[in-house]
Amino acid sequence: MAGLIARRCVALVAVLFGLALIVFVLQAVVPENPARAMVGASAPPQVVAQKARELGYDQPLPVRFVDYMERVLSGNLQTSLRTREPVLSNLETFAPATLELALAAAVIAAAIGVSLGLLLAAGGRLARVLRTVLIGGASVPTFLSALLLILLFYSTLHLLPASGRVSDTLVVPTGPTKVLLLDAVLHGEPNVVWSVLTHLLMPAFTLALIPALAIARVLASSCEGVMREDYVRTARTKGLRERTVILRHVLRNACGPALTMSGLQFGLLLGGIVVVEQIFAWPGLGRYLDQSIAYADFPAITGTTLILGTAYVIVNFLVDLAQAWADPRIRTV
Amino acid sequence: MTHRRALLAVLALALVVVAAGCGAASTTTSSAGSATSASSTSSASHILRIPYLADMSVPDPDIFYDIEGNSVILSAYEGLLKYAPNSDKIVGDLATSWSESPDRLTYTFHLRPNVHFHDGSLFTAQSVIASFKRRLNVNQAPAYMVKPIASMTTPNPLTLVVKLKEPVDPFLDYLASSWGPKMIGPEALVTHAGNNFAQTWLQTHDDGTGPYELTEFARGRQYVLARFEGWWGAKPYFEKVLIKITPDIDTQQLELENGSVDAIMHSFPAANLSSLPSSVKVLKYPSYLRLLLYVNTHKPPFNNPAVRATLRAAIDPAKLVAEAYSGTGTNSKGPFPEELLSNQPTLPYAPNPTVAAEGVKKASTKSIVLGFTADESGIQRRVGEILQAALEAAGWQVTVKEVQLPQVYDYINDLSAAPDLLLQTNTPDAANADTWSRILFFKEGGLNFLGFNNARVNSLLEKSRSASPAESEKLEREVGQEVVNENGIFFLGNIDNVFVLNKELEGVEQIPAYPWTVNYASLKRG
Repeated sequence: MAGLIARRCVALVAVLFGLALIVFVLQAVVPENPARAMVGASAPPQVVAQKARELGYDQPLPVRFVDYMERVLSGNLQTSLRTREPVLSNLETFAPATLELALAAAVIAAAIGVSLGLLLAAGGRLARVLRTVLIGGASVPTFLSALLLILLFYSTLHLLPASGRVSDTLVVPTGPTKVLLLDAVLHGEPNVVWSVLTHLLMPAFTLALIPALAIARVLASSCEGVMREDYVRTARTKGLRERTVILRHVLRNACGPALTMSGLQFGLLLGGIVVVEQIFAWPGLGRYLDQSIAYADFPAITGTTLILGTAYVIVNFLVDLAQAWADPRIRTV
Repeated sequence: MTHRRALLAVLALALVVVAAGCGAASTTTSSAGSATSASSTSSASHILRIPYLADMSVPDPDIFYDIEGNSVILSAYEGLLKYAPNSDKIVGDLATSWSESPDRLTYTFHLRPNVHFHDGSLFTAQSVIASFKRRLNVNQAPAYMVKPIASMTTPNPLTLVVKLKEPVDPFLDYLASSWGPKMIGPEALVTHAGNNFAQTWLQTHDDGTGPYELTEFARGRQYVLARFEGWWGAKPYFEKVLIKITPDIDTQQLELENGSVDAIMHSFPAANLSSLPSSVKVLKYPSYLRLLLYVNTHKPPFNNPAVRATLRAAIDPAKLVAEAYSGTGTNSKGPFPEELLSNQPTLPYAPNPTVAAEGVKKASTKSIVLGFTADESGIQRRVGEILQAALEAAGWQVTVKEVQLPQVYDYINDLSAAPDLLLQTNTPDAANADTWSRILFFKEGGLNFLGFNNARVNSLLEKSRSASPAESEKLEREVGQEVVNENGIFFLGNIDNVFVLNKELEGVEQIPAYPWTVNYASLKRG
């Protein structure tokens, strides 16, 4: 296991370096002038040129890359051209909201995915109906399911709020984790906990929908295969209860492909975050990234890409560990 | 058994949270600044809720140079002058009166007494000097408005004398512009100076004299403006203004219809205006926002003046604006916003399929690219599609391409890679013709995206800035005529300020030169 962790850590560093390089090259070749974006539309050319010099955009590309990597390694992700604040400070502001949303979505995706997967594996008429629903559900684009949920639960039923992370009249806890739900629980603020939960439900569910369906289909297929194995038949003939057979013998052996799919789906989930945060006005990294792109705010785009890339690599690293736990043969690979 | 107990405990906790949440009163004790929760003590009817589509850049009046965020700056800060509601007439704000010397080099401002900054300090002539100097020191784009100043003196605490290096015709308009110099408390500037003239502090705080104080600037989430009880003007009705960042216009519309927000100040899809519920109303006002079609005169086919001229016959601005803007715009009558310049040269755009088709025959290539910058309402895309259809009817092969604004800024560096035609909406910095022509028609103008360069226009503009008002207007008319003759920029439409509001909101005051902005201090619930 230690070898596996070491190999994955080396891969993590290599992937992040590659990511930083790609993002830097992209920002260097796109035909946009960040200095112009920073000083405003009507600024005279002299002001733009002066700002470009201040930002170091007049330096040769290799010099800029070395300078950039030195700063990244020392934890300095530069200053956002749009907000004029350090990118690291902006990421500290926006990342917890995205983390909260992504975790909630991951929990919902796992819960729905595993439940649906087991139901499908069980077979029968319900499974056939569910399979049809899954195919239909997976074909609904994220923005459309978001709008449908808002129309149903906000406009029609008036059950859930349409936007934001918490009610705007509440003064919210400012720490220690900045994950609002957790902070509200730690501070014993039931009003805030309730408000956060109601705000979280629709965006998290929207984000979880497609990954949940993918996990369910892979898990069901895998379970169906495992249930035909001899050791499952043996477990049943020993007189074990069906629940025990499924949970102890089938699920553990069938979860490998579903775990792999979960890791891949996490990447898609991060991609979907931009759309979901936009529609639900969720103040996270997706929105920060979207606004930064419109402003050619390259330090912010680079910083956000690095942090999302790191999250993706770490999640897949954890998936690898989970697979190794579930299937000891993987530990030696 | 242990698992069951744990499950029961979690369920019980969840029930407690749900029960507490359901039963929670909407008002509890406030303890801002601590890491605890509390609700606002303002009653809901005295809170104004406004959505923004995007974060403003920074709430610092010496840096801010965008449109989204204007209302925050104008609520927290005041300048010496402003425009009267619904007009372009300059009136006093923190100056009660002013005079101009015959040589137009010296301006004397008499200042409003008993005005306080949000930190409690008194506003005087020295405050104006400190604010003007800070704008010069910060030296961002809006600094150009105070650069003509040669010196400032204060004969007494409520009189300021400003001497200019040379006469500047739009100087008073600079002072009245929404991006013009605003007064910032000198004590706060010293206390929070840091190493960047208090730029860091002013990213999240304010110390203006306006009717509202910026009490929370939670980037990406919301900004809170609280009524400043020490304001010199009539007490505003709303105790608080909550500006919530809601980037999706459909979500904003649903929230308005359900009463979660009070008004949408821009980018409302024009096509949806006719299907609104009775709980909301639509107010339309003329603004200086103009729809323009830039022509790339630096590469084929439009480097040929004869081909450019036939574009006049290919487009029908009246039809285009009517179709795309659904009654929230009109076709332009001249090269300047009409209110900025009287007796402007007229626009000779007359649809004529025969002439339009002749232009295509003369062109070295029929294949052209039309760029546009997308907006939330989708109107720019619609305008692009209508133009595409009109040009293709004349025989052009048009590729419509969505571009990002920062890309547009950079076209000037490589015009061979820029699109052949570019759709943009722009607004002048103030209600003065010079603040339009200088950024749009001058060779180095900030909004001169496709490098329009006409020697006579440049020369006329050099003269007009320091000319007398009458002479300046005459020169601007000549500039306009040259630009129209050149066919380098087409003036398609005048776009209205469209506010969609909760029906009970009254007292809407807006200024054409301040796009997307209403005066929060004049609003009230009826």
